[in-house]
Amino acid sequence: MTTSTFTIAGRIIRQLVRDRRTIALLVLVPLVIASLVGVSIPDRNMLDYIFPAILAVLILFFGFLLTGISFLRERSQGTLERLLASPVSKFDIVGGYLLGFLLFALLQTLIIFFYMVYVLDITYRGELWQILVFQVLIGAGAVCLGTFFSVFARNEFQMMQFIPLVIVPQIFLCGLLWPVDQMPEYLQWAARFLPLTYGVDGIRALMLEGQNLADIGMEVGVLGAFAVVLLVLASLTLRRSSSG
Amino acid sequence: MKTLTSDAVPAVTAAVAIDNLSFNYGRLRVIDGLSLEVGAGTSFGLLGPNGSGKTTLIRLMVGLLKPAGGTIHCLGRPPSPARARNMGYMPQLPALYQELSVEQNIEFFARIYGMKDKRQRSQRVEEVIRLVDLWSRRKTSVLKLSGGMKQRVSLGCAIVHRPPLLFLDEPTVGLDPELRAHFWRHFENLTAAGTTLIISSHTMDDAAHCRQLVFMRQGKIIAKGSPAELQAATGDGCASLEDAFLYFIRKGKVPTGDD
Ligand SMILES: Nc1ncnc2c1ncn2[C@@H]1O[C@H](COP(=O)(O)OP(=O)(O)O)[C@@H](O)[C@H]1O
Ligand SMILES: [Mg+2]
Repeated sequence: MTTSTFTIAGRIIRQLVRDRRTIALLVLVPLVIASLVGVSIPDRNMLDYIFPAILAVLILFFGFLLTGISFLRERSQGTLERLLASPVSKFDIVGGYLLGFLLFALLQTLIIFFYMVYVLDITYRGELWQILVFQVLIGAGAVCLGTFFSVFARNEFQMMQFIPLVIVPQIFLCGLLWPVDQMPEYLQWAARFLPLTYGVDGIRALMLEGQNLADIGMEVGVLGAFAVVLLVLASLTLRRSSSG
Repeated sequence: MKTLTSDAVPAVTAAVAIDNLSFNYGRLRVIDGLSLEVGAGTSFGLLGPNGSGKTTLIRLMVGLLKPAGGTIHCLGRPPSPARARNMGYMPQLPALYQELSVEQNIEFFARIYGMKDKRQRSQRVEEVIRLVDLWSRRKTSVLKLSGGMKQRVSLGCAIVHRPPLLFLDEPTVGLDPELRAHFWRHFENLTAAGTTLIISSHTMDDAAHCRQLVFMRQGKIIAKGSPAELQAATGDGCASLEDAFLYFIRKGKVPTGDD
């Protein structure tokens, strides 16, 4: 990490903060979703089971969408070209995105978390800081995933279409509503290659079973590996221009 | 082979030296065996119609693209991120962060180009904002500016770190005559202070302002020299640079304006 990483992260936060409507949506949409889930499912145990998974799903979704679109704009507006002609390295650029959006993801998680616990009255075990650390890990993968996929989109519309392709299957297969080990064997097999599966397993272990980060070393390791591989992929594909 | 002087500051006679450069987009040959030399402290015009390869040539010079053949030296070395601090680049489109203010955009690029000292940086940012005449709009989001204003912010971002070598890709496109004259006064001040300017354009109005020019067509240089030389080289005298350009296209040969 260099000064440039922080400069880029700072710029991303400034950009988001100046865009009031986006900020409002980023806070409101998760609360609306959480409320809908809370109201539509009458079974308390079921709710306690689902809510940790929702934390993981939301961070993946917003991390992917926000970075994907921001990066796409960086590309299409030509500022990426400007950065690539400057002394900063590709890792500074992706690193800056990572830092900037993770700070944001952390804030979002906190808001949803407190809303769930104090307004929707969800019970949980485990420690908050461990939950946050784990969320950051999921978010890191999501940010790199978004950066990487933005290479293949030419506009915001195409970026949106990656959601049903990249995010929705993960939501269905991650065990949000039904445990993975009760799915058909080929689906279980597919789920093993998707980061969200590990994210949901891990956060449930933390929040439902009150385990420690050390107890879920496998999930932490796999998510870390996903994030590192995606970070390298995203940095390597950075130069590729999707504009004709 | 390593020469004795390779680690010392190279004795730069040319700010940019390009030898037999070629570049392709897929099967399309965009730069075709092009050679040129740009003296330090001059304003050098790349003139040519749309699609003649001006942007591609500039992107090669700033190191965004890698040559398929030939060599490029900027300030004595091939372009690389390590050397980027000495170069400024204003892309063809005003590449700016729309949500950020004029000041935040220029400040961001000042940091990116390594201006670490906070006091010096904010002084320089203020100086640049005044230079591009946007002081009263410095807190405005770029989103809310007119095209000409965006162009000025874009110029500000390219010059904030005082690069000795500055690449401007069609900086005057879409500007009204008054603003265009304002830009050119500014460019002349920069060269007077020793900056080397490389400016692409497709209008002959810009060409007349440059000290040295090349006419480009299909990735090749079809003529080079000063504006007066180019006009004189057409023999029986073309009324304008525009006519001179058409003359060289018809003739299809490169005059030896500088030797
Ligand atoms: N990213 C790209 N992919 C494919 N072809 C390109 C790309 N950019 C430019 N070209 C082609 O290269 C040629 C030169 O383009 P360019 O350098 O932009 O010219 P100019 O700046 O003089 O208008 C044109 O034929 C253009 O279509
Ligand atoms: Mg161009």
